[in-house]
Amino acid sequence: MNTLTKYTVMIIVAITKILVMTTLFGLTSCEDVIDLEVPTETAHLVIEASIDWEKGTSGNEQTIKLSMSKPYFDPNGTTPVTGASVKVTYDADGTEFIFEDQNNGTYTTDNFLPALNHTYTLEVTYDGETYIAHEMLMPVPSIHEVDQSVEGGFDDELLDVNVYFYDPVSETNFYLIKFKEQDDMFPTLFDLKDEFTNGNLMTTFYEKFDDEESDEEAFVPGDIVDIALYGISQQYYNYLHLMIEQEEYGGGPFSSTPVAIKGNCINQTNPSNYALGYFRLTEVVKTTYIFQ
Amino acid sequence: MCNSMRTILLTFILFTSLLSAQDSFTISGTLKDASNGETIFGASVYFKGTTIGMSSNEYGFYSLTAPEGEYTLVVTYMGYSDFSKEISLDTNQSFDIELFENTMELDEVVIVSEESERVNIGNPQMSVTKLNVSTIKQIPVVLGEVDLIKSIQLLPGVTSNGEGTGGFYVRGGAADQNLVLLDEAIIYNTSHLLGFFSVFNADAIKDVKLYKGGIPARFGGRVSSVLDVRQKDGNNKEFALTGGIGTISSRLTAEAPLFKQKGSFLLAGRTSYAHLLLKLAGEDNSASFYDLNLKTNYGLNANNKLFLSGYFGRDNFDFSGNFKSNYGNLSGNLRWNHIFNDKWFSNVSLIFSEYDYQVILDFDKLDWVSDIKNYNVKYDLKYFANERVSFDFGASIIYYDFNPGEVKPTSDDSAINYLKLDQKRAFETGVYFNSELKVTDILTVEYGGRYSGFSRMGGQTLNEYEDGRPIVYNEDLGIYEKGNVVGETAYKKSEGIKTFDNFEPRLALSFQFNGDASIKASYNKIAQYIHLLSNTTAVSPLDVWTPSGKFIQPQIANQYALGYFKTFDDSSLSLEIETYYKTVDNRIDYVDGSDLIGQNTIETQILNGESKAYGLEFLLRKTQGDFTGWLAYTLSKSEQRTLGGEAGGPGINNGNWYSTSYDRTHDLSITGAYKVNDKWTLSSNWAFQTGRPVTYPNGQYEYEGQSIAIYSERNANRLPNYHRLDISATYAPNRRPDAKWKGEWVFGIYNVYNRKNAASISFGQNKDTGVNEATRTAIFGIVPSVTYNFKF
Repeated sequence: MNTLTKYTVMIIVAITKILVMTTLFGLTSCEDVIDLEVPTETAHLVIEASIDWEKGTSGNEQTIKLSMSKPYFDPNGTTPVTGASVKVTYDADGTEFIFEDQNNGTYTTDNFLPALNHTYTLEVTYDGETYIAHEMLMPVPSIHEVDQSVEGGFDDELLDVNVYFYDPVSETNFYLIKFKEQDDMFPTLFDLKDEFTNGNLMTTFYEKFDDEESDEEAFVPGDIVDIALYGISQQYYNYLHLMIEQEEYGGGPFSSTPVAIKGNCINQTNPSNYALGYFRLTEVVKTTYIFQ
Repeated sequence: MCNSMRTILLTFILFTSLLSAQDSFTISGTLKDASNGETIFGASVYFKGTTIGMSSNEYGFYSLTAPEGEYTLVVTYMGYSDFSKEISLDTNQSFDIELFENTMELDEVVIVSEESERVNIGNPQMSVTKLNVSTIKQIPVVLGEVDLIKSIQLLPGVTSNGEGTGGFYVRGGAADQNLVLLDEAIIYNTSHLLGFFSVFNADAIKDVKLYKGGIPARFGGRVSSVLDVRQKDGNNKEFALTGGIGTISSRLTAEAPLFKQKGSFLLAGRTSYAHLLLKLAGEDNSASFYDLNLKTNYGLNANNKLFLSGYFGRDNFDFSGNFKSNYGNLSGNLRWNHIFNDKWFSNVSLIFSEYDYQVILDFDKLDWVSDIKNYNVKYDLKYFANERVSFDFGASIIYYDFNPGEVKPTSDDSAINYLKLDQKRAFETGVYFNSELKVTDILTVEYGGRYSGFSRMGGQTLNEYEDGRPIVYNEDLGIYEKGNVVGETAYKKSEGIKTFDNFEPRLALSFQFNGDASIKASYNKIAQYIHLLSNTTAVSPLDVWTPSGKFIQPQIANQYALGYFKTFDDSSLSLEIETYYKTVDNRIDYVDGSDLIGQNTIETQILNGESKAYGLEFLLRKTQGDFTGWLAYTLSKSEQRTLGGEAGGPGINNGNWYSTSYDRTHDLSITGAYKVNDKWTLSSNWAFQTGRPVTYPNGQYEYEGQSIAIYSERNANRLPNYHRLDISATYAPNRRPDAKWKGEWVFGIYNVYNRKNAASISFGQNKDTGVNEATRTAIFGIVPSVTYNFKF
């Protein structure tokens, strides 16, 4: 189901390719990188508060990142935000976890106590304005199996890695799966829900293509992929789903109009000066796969 | 409501009794092409030296009434020899007429721009354009694939949503607001290959008429336009075979008389074959389409004629066996024309149409089907009261069956659970009345109305939401979320869930002066009860139709139009200037992050909005001579707004008006065909459009190790302007006049100056450098093509 949009996009590519191949002179459709002027709006605070508790660890050490947004084509690195105060409260008994400013945009603690299915509150104060978010720490099932295949995926000749896990039947579940080949600059994210697959063995595949435009290369034996499966809340799923869809297909004819993605860190002092990013709490299972 | 119907009926009776007081007689009959027996629509039939005259109707029928006397009956139709005959009108009489083409060269190459395409100065009907298939065939198109939809997009007030996307957009209205009829049957999807081509095979089509405004009362159900496509009846004089071999597809059409020329048939097929060549070349992915058109008719006697038409079309996609999809339309129509007498013409139609699609995902091991079916019974009557007044009235009932989706696992180890979205049923009814009245020689009035009704039927269960709100605004997060379900109501099959009714007045006026100029004004109100669910920029074949009901209101449009019409140079040149203002209430819009795939509770994803559009259209058209063509320019605006309403909050896009994705400020097209000599005809068109409204990012931030784009206002930016030049040349080789086989070559070049028009611009991070980039996708660069057409 989640793959449908991707297929629609690929069909267009395929049709165009077919049309191209049938015309005498060949090349008609093309993709090229262009110079474009886009508007720039004022910078906003970005709160990347991802409290991830890896199964089998204590989960004491946690990091929250603060930065500022910047113009879309600004090639320079992130603008870290220092001097903020950051704390997370365990709602059940009011225990506070203070995140220390590391003066590089990260705020850390080493005494966090994770509790599944419990709610927490994030409070960030920066530049005289306070941002507050509430979330629940969501559990995740174990990964059942990871394997590789050639058939399956979008292309029958390229290697893909498959992740299998059992979805709990008793509840509605939402997941984030993150794949990152170790040589890649950034990960690829997939959002998943059990709406059509409740209680079944769930599978997700990750396949890369040889693409000159984006400099992507297909998997070859020896490639190492880091895999992480997160249990997430429905509210965070909605956020991620929109974000992933817009990053992947934004602007194409068969995508919806890209819109502002609103996170859960609400500015209490000045609501119109909204913060970007999200306060999430997840349980996560991680594994690594080496292509044979 | 009932009162207004009564008023209309009363007016009708009044006019009839007033006008029938005169001592007159009527001559009526059918106009046909002498060479193939095709009925002729839109020919001028009149008594010489009088103001008594009319155009023949869709079935070639005419009826003239005048006081007793001697008259010269004249029939003119461009491309045909004039017909004239002295008659004594001393009794009511029936008289069929055959017209002869006025050229020795009976082939498509001859530029025959027909009378009926000319602007009709006196008739109050405005905002309408008729294209004959011979005109459509002259327009250069990509890969030489003659395309009706792309042809109408060159007219003022009509746009596309970019190359390679389906549908068309009329006067700032959405694609699902067009009523597309093929021999009266509703066509739900006009696209082949997602919109690269259209479903109409030009060899089977006689003509097409597009109503952009002043929509006659006999049409209803869609708020923006009516595209009335008529298939050929089939040659009833002799067997004929036509066909063509093109770059993408080939066509073959057979026509022949049946039952000693009492009837005839036409059978046309078209199939793409590019995918076969690609299979040979080792390409795993394929996309193909085919369609079949059928039409047959049988004249029981002079006053009764039966028609049967059918269409079946299919698209197939196969993506390395991992993804397969097919979709298409199926339609059939059985019609009975009955002429009661020289003044009463009637038609009854039984119509079926269906659109369905199937998607098979091998990886997810699922098989997904969805369809919409409708059964339609329609009765139309036309009464030619006398030379100054005629009436149309009739009734229609449509039964709809919506199957929004059924998902089946394709193997035991599939992760997918069986799912069937709620089947929906509805009845749509309409009764209408319309009269054209020549008040004076200057003023002609067309007035009428349609009373439409819609009953959403039970046989399904609907959610009950807290406070009756299926969608609510989350004040904290500033987003729209599903409402809380507090219960369910099961509706029995026999039970109605919700009914709607609307009275839709239609009015058109024409003030004619000097015989060659007129001013026309029109107003129409139209209700639309079914909606295409699509939150994407372009409509896709997988979009699903849904009926109005408990949660979705019918769309209601009001359109006002005013125009100036003039013909010059013995009617060979016409000028049409029109301005319009249109509002649509209850246009649904999709909240941020709406999820429509496999969605059983659409009401949780949408809000009730409105749209408005206004514009100025200019059309200069030359329909006769060696050079024919038109210049069309539109200046327009189309926007929509959706407030929070019951759901609370500011609404979509903060409740601000925003441009629809089919808003085009400027839209210019110049189309021309020039007949150089008997062998060569040259055609060209140039199109310019303001870029499509899009949403560009206005910032970025880092999240999860990636750069995430920030967007704000919907459609606040625009793609670069679109423009393109196409040319084509048609070559009909020398041949003996008595040769049976007639062939022609069509050479075309699409996008001659190879402009890389952005179909879309997407944003993302370069995988190597991590720097953000804007990537332009241009669908067609310069594309040459060759097509061979023949007639036997």
